[in-house]
Amino acid sequence: MTFLLVVALILYLTSITFAFITFANEKFRERAAVWVRLSVFVGFVLHTNSLIVSWIRLGHFPIINLKEVCSFIAWALVGYYLLVIRRYKARALPIFVLSATSILLIFSLHLRTPEGPIPSSLSSAMADDTLTHFILPVHVALLLFAYAAFVVTVGCGAMYLIQERALKAKQFGAAFRWLPALNTCDEIAQRSMTVGFVTLTLGVIAGMVWGKEHDGRFWHNDPKEVLTLVTWLVYLAMVHYRLTAGWRGRRVAWLAIGGFVAVLITFIGARAMGGYHIFG
Amino acid sequence: MSIVLIGLNHHTAPVEVRERLAFPEGEVLSALHAMTAREAIQEALIISTCNRVEVIAEAADANELRNFLYDLKDLPHNSLNKHLFQYTDTDAVKHAFRVAASLDSMIVGEPQILGQVKDAFQRAQQAGTVGHTLTRLMNRAFAVAKKVRNETGIGANAVSISYVAVELARKVFDTLDGTTVMLLGAGEMAELAAKHFITNGARRLLIANRTLENAQSLATEMNGEAMSLDDLERRLPEVDIVLCSTGAPHYLITSQQINQALAARRYRPMFLIDISVPRNIDPAISDIDNAFVFDIDDLEAVAEANRQERQREAQRAEEIVQTEAQRFAASLGEGNLNQVIGVFRREIHQLALDELERSRKRLGELSPEQEEAIKIMLNSLVNKFTHPIIRQLRESEDGHSTYLEAFREYYHQNKE
Repeated sequence: MTFLLVVALILYLTSITFAFITFANEKFRERAAVWVRLSVFVGFVLHTNSLIVSWIRLGHFPIINLKEVCSFIAWALVGYYLLVIRRYKARALPIFVLSATSILLIFSLHLRTPEGPIPSSLSSAMADDTLTHFILPVHVALLLFAYAAFVVTVGCGAMYLIQERALKAKQFGAAFRWLPALNTCDEIAQRSMTVGFVTLTLGVIAGMVWGKEHDGRFWHNDPKEVLTLVTWLVYLAMVHYRLTAGWRGRRVAWLAIGGFVAVLITFIGARAMGGYHIFG
Repeated sequence: MSIVLIGLNHHTAPVEVRERLAFPEGEVLSALHAMTAREAIQEALIISTCNRVEVIAEAADANELRNFLYDLKDLPHNSLNKHLFQYTDTDAVKHAFRVAASLDSMIVGEPQILGQVKDAFQRAQQAGTVGHTLTRLMNRAFAVAKKVRNETGIGANAVSISYVAVELARKVFDTLDGTTVMLLGAGEMAELAAKHFITNGARRLLIANRTLENAQSLATEMNGEAMSLDDLERRLPEVDIVLCSTGAPHYLITSQQINQALAARRYRPMFLIDISVPRNIDPAISDIDNAFVFDIDDLEAVAEANRQERQREAQRAEEIVQTEAQRFAASLGEGNLNQVIGVFRREIHQLALDELERSRKRLGELSPEQEEAIKIMLNSLVNKFTHPIIRQLRESEDGHSTYLEAFREYYHQNKE
């Protein structure tokens, strides 16, 4: 599957290149925009194929170790991006999103984790019961989808802040011309945040149900659980202030960045702290 | 015959000179007819706008065309020579392309000139003074103009203050569809900007003025809704875009009002343009989240940056025009080549038929089959004879070989 992934990666990088061309060259703008979409789409199809092939070969969904997880987030990110561009025109968005995708994929390809059976700590729990067998991949997939949505949220938040700065400082340079309108950034960020928050919540619930089935405990005080709770609270605050106080624009953009830092700490920091959420 | 272009424009002549040579709408037709009545002028087309007067013609001699222009306008010969430019062949083609592509305009990239050139062409078509060459030239010119517009950013960014305001608003709202615009005061530029906002999708226009009557008359004119200045604070929350241009010596809109309005509209952004001097919108509003204020200097700065951007894009457009002009001029040569070949073939063919007529007496009565057989024989003889020569001609297709020149000259003389 490495081959499929490498080709998908090349297509994503191609798409980024074309995205730059849409800005740099008026002559090829329209044609380049078509190529941006086409390469992402074909890349996504190949990426999907690689996941399916892994699934069949391993006999379980490939989201157990870090290598698989990175590839899956990258995939979810592209999938979510494809949904977003059906509705919004934001020419700078592919550059943000596909850069994140490519970094994740490169990292995933770089990792030398051997493909193998499920670690014993999980397999014992999954073998005995169909419910737990089914719910574990759902738990992981939902959380990774949430992360993907949060990447788009933070990307749009960053674009908002840069564009807003350009407008307020009256610097009408490249950023001003390239980045989408403030309302577009704000809308995508807010919607992505909602999508991310809902999937995060469902993912956490799925994890709790699995924990209960597995060893009778909803909560293990594991570092990842605690950090996820913090992340969840940050996004809860965001959703809350948006709905009640009408927060938007700059504040939401900063919250998006704050939330994403929490996500990063959860994702990376929890590994460093150990605990029962580490599976190789 | 070659393509000749004579004219003057805002670069070469001040308005008092341009108006002396201008062709008012009603005079164009008769001028075109008078021109093509001359033997030396085969086709003609006149572009006469406030910035330029240009005559494009398929003519034998540029000087004759120029003198004819002087005669037509009752001017002494050579009196305006220092203002006139005169191009032939590739240079004329290039200039025509530059004009149509708006590279020769006062504001480079402004789109009106293409329409004006199209009108001029249409008028000449009605007059029946454009033939094969000028029709090809103008159609090519329109295609080149389109290409320049599509492939360069020459018309991409706004260079007028009122349009810059629209462009800036789009960077906040993305689309102006459904927005509400408030026009404060009756400054000309603000009014123009308001019109741009409406044509670009704004749904509602509120018009406030010091006196309600003025507001009402403007509201009927612009299909807006009049309101009193006293209602300003109450109506602000409905408004997405404020265009302000009054003579008031103080701030009409303060930070506090905008803070309140924003809270009332759940912080949906507000976009304020202040074209008044002294300013009527407190610049401190710029420090408020979701409120964006731009004054006349800001708009001017964007316009200036866009003008520079256009200049850069114009460089690329010039390259396109240069290539296209050369290609077109070369293809004209090709047309000439085909003409020469056609004439050559017809003449040889005619020669053969003439010989047949001369021999008829001695041939006696011919059956239709015999007649047919002789014609086929002559035809194939002519083809066999001309084929290697035509092939040689085509191989020297660059149109400049001495072989071709000699051939052309021979046939030119023969025709005369």
